[in-house]
Amino acid sequence: MSRKRETIYPDISDILEEKAGIRRRLQKRSFQEKVEAMEALRERLRPLKEARERRKAARDNTKG
Amino acid sequence: MAIANTVAVLNAMQADGVIGRYAIAGAVAAYNYIEPTLTEDLDVLVAFNDPPQRKVTGLVTLEPIFSFLAGQGYARLEGEGVIIEGWRVQFLPAANALDEEALASADEIALAHGDVGTVRMRILRPEHLVANCLLVDRLKDQVRIMQFLTEDAVNTEALCGVLARHGKWGEYCAKMRIRNPCDRAHA
Repeated sequence: MSRKRETIYPDISDILEEKAGIRRRLQKRSFQEKVEAMEALRERLRPLKEARERRKAARDNTKG
Repeated sequence: MAIANTVAVLNAMQADGVIGRYAIAGAVAAYNYIEPTLTEDLDVLVAFNDPPQRKVTGLVTLEPIFSFLAGQGYARLEGEGVIIEGWRVQFLPAANALDEEALASADEIALAHGDVGTVRMRILRPEHLVANCLLVDRLKDQVRIMQFLTEDAVNTEALCGVLARHGKWGEYCAKMRIRNPCDRAHA
């Protein structure tokens, strides 16, 4: 009963704290490490970006 | 690392007198201080070596930049930028007193380039990045200002000095419902 009062469901505070820790670690990286990570991320996301641009072009063609 | 190749091209442009002093601005400059966010653009704040057309018209044209780059094989334009070694580079001419001050006081850092070399580049200081965000004031600029503040990535005293000269800080703090850190700095 008391346990029910103490826990806010769903309790994601531990997840949020972990994410905050990741953000702090990211912030502390060197400029070079950050740029390298972002360049790698950009490459990984390129197919998604291209798909989004194709969908947008198709929508624009339909409107036009 | 692609960006080091891009910076090498910028340095060559400066050495050839195509541009004057330059510094990296925008999201990539912010990498030097806060948690990185994904961006496609490399914003470059540039001064010109007193271009003749400016004396006549008061306007700055980027045509010499694009001509030089085309001659080096960088002719692909995308939006407002030109693709240099995989980065879409946007050249932003220094347009006001804030830009001039930011360029004059930019930090210099070295990046690894190739197997053994380095390239040097200048990056705007955090207080000038925040002041510029305040000026541009898009949603993402407002978020970036909050990042600088919450990540304790800007020297409050230096920031307040810059904002006293160039900013609308009080309006921003009121809009974001945060305490004005400059009040605390001057208290």
